[in-house]
Amino acid sequence: MIENLAVGFSASLSPENLLWCLIGVVVGTVIGMLPGLGATTGIAILIPLTLGMDPLTALIMLAGIYYGCQYGSTISAVLIATPGDANAVSTVIDGYAMARNGRAGAALAISAIGSFVAAIVSVVLLATLAGPIADLAIGFGPAENFAIMVFAMATIVAFSGADIRKGLMMAGLGIALSTVGVAMGFTTARFTGGSVNLLGGLDFVVVMIGIFAIGEVLSQISAGGAEPIRARFRDMLITRKELRQASPAIARGTGIGFVFGSLPGAGSTLASFLAYGVEKSVSKTPERFGKGAIQGVAAPESANNSAANANFIPTLSLGIPGGSTTAVLLGAFIMYGVQPGPLLFTEQPTLVWGLITSFFIGNVILLVLNLPLAPAFAQILRLPYNHLYPFIIFFSLIGAFAVAGNTFGLIVVLVASALGFCLKKFGYPSAPLILGLVLGPMTEKALVQTSAFGRGDLSILLQSPVAMTILILAVVLAAAPILSRSLRERARRKRDLETAAEASAAEREPDHDSQPSR
Amino acid sequence: MHLSRRTLLGSGAAAMLAAAITGCSSRSEDSGGNATMIVPFAPGGGSDQSGRALADGLEQALGNSISVENVQGGSGAIGYSTFLGMHGDSSQLLATETAMMVLPLTQDVRFSYRDFTPIFKAGDDYTLVVTRPDAPYADAAELVRAARERSVLVGVSGATSLDEIVFSLIEKDQDMRFDRVPYESGGEVLAALLGGHVEAASLNPSEVIGQLASGDLRALCALTPERFEAEALRDIPTGREQGIDVAFAQFRGVIAPGGITDQQRERWIEAAREYARTDAYRSYLEENYMVEEPLFGEDFGPYLDRYHDDLAEALS
Repeated sequence: MIENLAVGFSASLSPENLLWCLIGVVVGTVIGMLPGLGATTGIAILIPLTLGMDPLTALIMLAGIYYGCQYGSTISAVLIATPGDANAVSTVIDGYAMARNGRAGAALAISAIGSFVAAIVSVVLLATLAGPIADLAIGFGPAENFAIMVFAMATIVAFSGADIRKGLMMAGLGIALSTVGVAMGFTTARFTGGSVNLLGGLDFVVVMIGIFAIGEVLSQISAGGAEPIRARFRDMLITRKELRQASPAIARGTGIGFVFGSLPGAGSTLASFLAYGVEKSVSKTPERFGKGAIQGVAAPESANNSAANANFIPTLSLGIPGGSTTAVLLGAFIMYGVQPGPLLFTEQPTLVWGLITSFFIGNVILLVLNLPLAPAFAQILRLPYNHLYPFIIFFSLIGAFAVAGNTFGLIVVLVASALGFCLKKFGYPSAPLILGLVLGPMTEKALVQTSAFGRGDLSILLQSPVAMTILILAVVLAAAPILSRSLRERARRKRDLETAAEASAAEREPDHDSQPSR
Repeated sequence: MHLSRRTLLGSGAAAMLAAAITGCSSRSEDSGGNATMIVPFAPGGGSDQSGRALADGLEQALGNSISVENVQGGSGAIGYSTFLGMHGDSSQLLATETAMMVLPLTQDVRFSYRDFTPIFKAGDDYTLVVTRPDAPYADAAELVRAARERSVLVGVSGATSLDEIVFSLIEKDQDMRFDRVPYESGGEVLAALLGGHVEAASLNPSEVIGQLASGDLRALCALTPERFEAEALRDIPTGREQGIDVAFAQFRGVIAPGGITDQQRERWIEAAREYARTDAYRSYLEENYMVEEPLFGEDFGPYLDRYHDDLAEALS
């Protein structure tokens, strides 16, 4: 183990590799900040430029782009309510609220710290337990995956804000929209109205850009005179109290991210949604979520970084992609003449351990860059909004075009912006809609697979203890906020009754006194 | 205050980088030498890698710049439909594969392969039928026999993907049925096979070569006309050797839009011929365990006709 790490560090600490690691994480941060341009596309575009490089150096840089992206996507999510990447959708809710409260610096700092802690913990697990974890993860079949999707659906309640009915409506709308196009495993087109552009369905990243980024711009403009946020530099720093509040959230986020990142077919977007949902469910002050709770930033940000590293577990130890980005990286391995597969650890120790140890280095670089830059980035909010929003719209449209690859993406993004504006105006939460749009196809896929797996018989769900356990947890997760709310209501009503009784008793007493005088 | 100026500078630099990066994927309308290779699938997949390798090769053969643009969605339908709209524009190319045939046969799209100008078929992607090492069958014939007696689950990576097509062809040839679990990609099928959720799969050699070397998977047969030449695959018997008369490949190549002049067409074909003589072409085929069978212009067309008929029969 120590030997492996020594081999790894001696490779990854060479000046050339250090330099490319730095370049990778910085480029990744920038790619992450831009809406629409995610790690997968960024890496695929840059692979041809790396073909002349040493494979290890190239992989260190490409991996740096991947996790650098996780840091970058937070920055735009917090500052301008535009998730740079799907993983940062849940960060917008409390991150942007914190920014509006003048705590943007703190939100960015806690996300850098959370991401760093999550990265280090997950890399240690990756370095020590990759083999056994991978074997465990591929044991998750269609039934278990379906249970996980149901579990994820249960977090909709947590994203609903004050009115659960509105949240469920939005999630329903998201799921309905997600059925447009050709479903996996079939050839029939659904709800496309004969349009070829809709055959591939609505890309949730494009919808997300419209609803969050441009929708927010429209509602700010319509509200009129969004004031630049005048926070003093000192206010931009994170406080000890906030750190203390966020620590358990970071720990939970790291754990959730790691589990979902190592499962093939779940992924880091799901991990960040779940981390937020779970965090709100276990919180003693769930009412603070959505209004700038630091836990609502710490949990999903830790989760997506942890998931990004955990994604490398099936990739490196089995040669199967953990997610779309690692699938692209696997392709890169082949182009460099390195055959991925179960023998990679034994045949290419320098490459594997060099890559793993570079995660330590890259994340240290990111922390060192991001902590001081957090208050600096937050200064962007001091710009008057009318200087800021043209850029937001510009980058959003470019992002939508880049994702869709054609002008149809622009139509989708504009329709989504109008929808996002209306949702804000009438007080409907938009996160459940995105969650529905993301989860719809994943759930349908797991359902189709479970059904195929059981030859049309869904009772195989009952035969899997793991699936049943997850389903029961899902019920608990969905019921917890509703139950705790009604318990609190009851407690409050009881308290009200008691105080009312006391008050009336106190009222009656003077009555007794006054009676004789009548 | 200088701090916010620095931030502004930073965001300016970010904006420039963004423009540079997105610029890579923006379409060049200028046909004075520069061209675009459309890849109808997402970055990173087999078609994308193939498209980028071919763009690179043609670029060097011609000495001008060919940028790659991913127009993904609808299993390739959006890319091919977009390409249909580029009728007569000789600055556009498309990295083609089997979807060009499958889509018109299975979905309501307006294009057919006859709408385009065939330029170059680079090679063939065949599949191996693979299973877990502890599976109770020694070869593909025994797998087929097992599937006659009980339900055998196989993983496929889509309703119209190559693995689905070859399993259908085996079923037709052997008059039996497999039960299928659909997945979204070869990687997912591989995970399901390693996890023991499906019993067999039909995957590209480059997807499973690592697992075959480590003994985590076992190849039952290669669905090729002849055995693979590569050393790592040489010992795998073909389906025909085991009495299964199926050898079906996904072709990969380049097409131009319809309605271009003969001169424009010849220019691309000439570039392709030149590329096919290079080491880069050879190593592209070797890396991906593709079977070398280059076809140019006139010869590519009749090949596509034959392929279309075979496919129509397989999918019926």
